[in-house]
Amino acid sequence: MGLSSKTSEKIAFSLLILATLIVAGFVLIILGYIILNGYGAINLEFITQMPNRMMTEGGIYPAIVGTIYLIIGSMSVALPIGVMAAIYLNEYAGESRTTWLIEMAINNLAGTPSVVFGLFGLALFVKYFGFGPSILSASLTLALLILPVIIRSTEEALITVPKEYRESSLALGVSKWQTIRHVVLPAAIPGIITGSVLSIGRVAGETAPILFTGAAYFLPRLPDSVYSQFMALPYHLFVLATAGTNIAKTRPIQYGTALVLLIIVLSLNLVAVLIRRHYRNKLKI
Amino acid sequence: MTKGVQNVSQVQIKVDNLNLWYGEKQALKNISMQIPKNSVTALIGPSGCGKSTFLRCLNRMNDLVKNCRIEGKISIEEKDIYGPDVDVVDLRKKVGMVFQKPNPFPMSIFDNVAYGPRIHGADRKDLDSIVEQALRSAAIWEETSDRLKSPALSLSGGQQQRLCIARTLAVKPRTILFDEPTSALDPISTARIEDLIMDLKKDYTIVIVTHNMQQAARISDYTGFFLMGKLIEFGQTRQIFQNPQEQSTEDYITGRFG
Repeated sequence: MGLSSKTSEKIAFSLLILATLIVAGFVLIILGYIILNGYGAINLEFITQMPNRMMTEGGIYPAIVGTIYLIIGSMSVALPIGVMAAIYLNEYAGESRTTWLIEMAINNLAGTPSVVFGLFGLALFVKYFGFGPSILSASLTLALLILPVIIRSTEEALITVPKEYRESSLALGVSKWQTIRHVVLPAAIPGIITGSVLSIGRVAGETAPILFTGAAYFLPRLPDSVYSQFMALPYHLFVLATAGTNIAKTRPIQYGTALVLLIIVLSLNLVAVLIRRHYRNKLKI
Repeated sequence: MTKGVQNVSQVQIKVDNLNLWYGEKQALKNISMQIPKNSVTALIGPSGCGKSTFLRCLNRMNDLVKNCRIEGKISIEEKDIYGPDVDVVDLRKKVGMVFQKPNPFPMSIFDNVAYGPRIHGADRKDLDSIVEQALRSAAIWEETSDRLKSPALSLSGGQQQRLCIARTLAVKPRTILFDEPTSALDPISTARIEDLIMDLKKDYTIVIVTHNMQQAARISDYTGFFLMGKLIEFGQTRQIFQNPQEQSTEDYITGRFG
């Protein structure tokens, strides 16, 4: 005899809520652990000063600046290209073998390990184009990494724009591109922003793609051009925790760095949520 | 044979031997008719008879459908709209369309109406008066004049549909196609739209697809009856309803099928 529907309902409900609690629990533990261990290291000096005494003292200012440059650099390349490619694929390309191949390629790009992107960036941007290890090379490598995410989320946002909007715009004697520009894209912006934020999180957090393309082990000054090497938060953290001069002594700096990285990503997420809400309110009732 | 309207003073839309296929399936068969200017022409018939498909030929919305193939000739104001030199975008400015479901854009009431004129390059300083005039013509100015900046989606369904009519009027078409414009609306909203359509025929040629035979009888001057992709009968509404020439027309309007 099977379980009564009431019992199976109870079991399913308990399992589902257990799974949710496990997820929420781990998030809280990780956040709590980093905050508890990291907040002591954070002060004005920590976020505004250069590293000091073989990185065992001083701040992480150049790493913060480097990470922000990477975000700006990679997004300003990947966002326009990704959005335009998604518009082409979704609105113009139609269904053909070529389109299918391109879509497959994008999916595979999304699944490629980030260290492979790092090696590719080294070969193409650093060596072949001769950009050297630099902000430019690293930003372009990261842009390639997040391109599939942006394309995919933009396509999904475009698909959810009701067909009726397109039809009624076209029926007013508005061209296809004008329809996309004035009706479809505005309605898709919340979705596009969501995808972009996911990408910003990756750009800020990835270590492997910048490892070979420009991140410096230690560089006590700010980059002065796109061809400069740079420090970045995730790589700085990696260096301190594995290859630093005094791993035990820099523990607080490591947690402080992790916390700063977390704060940057979370506050960018918050900004994106606010922008998205603003657009939703503007579009809906 | 062109089916029936005699002594038409001016023809707005002339259709000759129109055939349409969706892939292998023929959806319209040999349709010929002449739709008079400044009148309301209703297209009736059971679901799937081709009346909406036919309507969408008149502003070339079927161009958007894949594997759709058209033969024959449609002239609007004596111009072949499937001719090689025709700009579809320009055609749709002259032949407006109102859809079954009210579908305002997710913008303010004002921006919805201003959308077409803005893109077509209307002067910024003229927009206020263009919008007001369109909203007045669509009989929705009184309800919206004090809230032009509010979202269009905050209006009721019937108001949204009149807003969509205003949006179409703002582009200054000469022909307006209505694709079952009241089928999603309550009776009171329906009555207001019907009054509006009868009012609009002074300035526009109107073709309306409707499911509702009473509606066709109430508001149209001419009626065409479609069945299985063919135009069975076309003539003055009074004649179609009181003295149909074809058995299947009579069967349909007396409710024996459909």
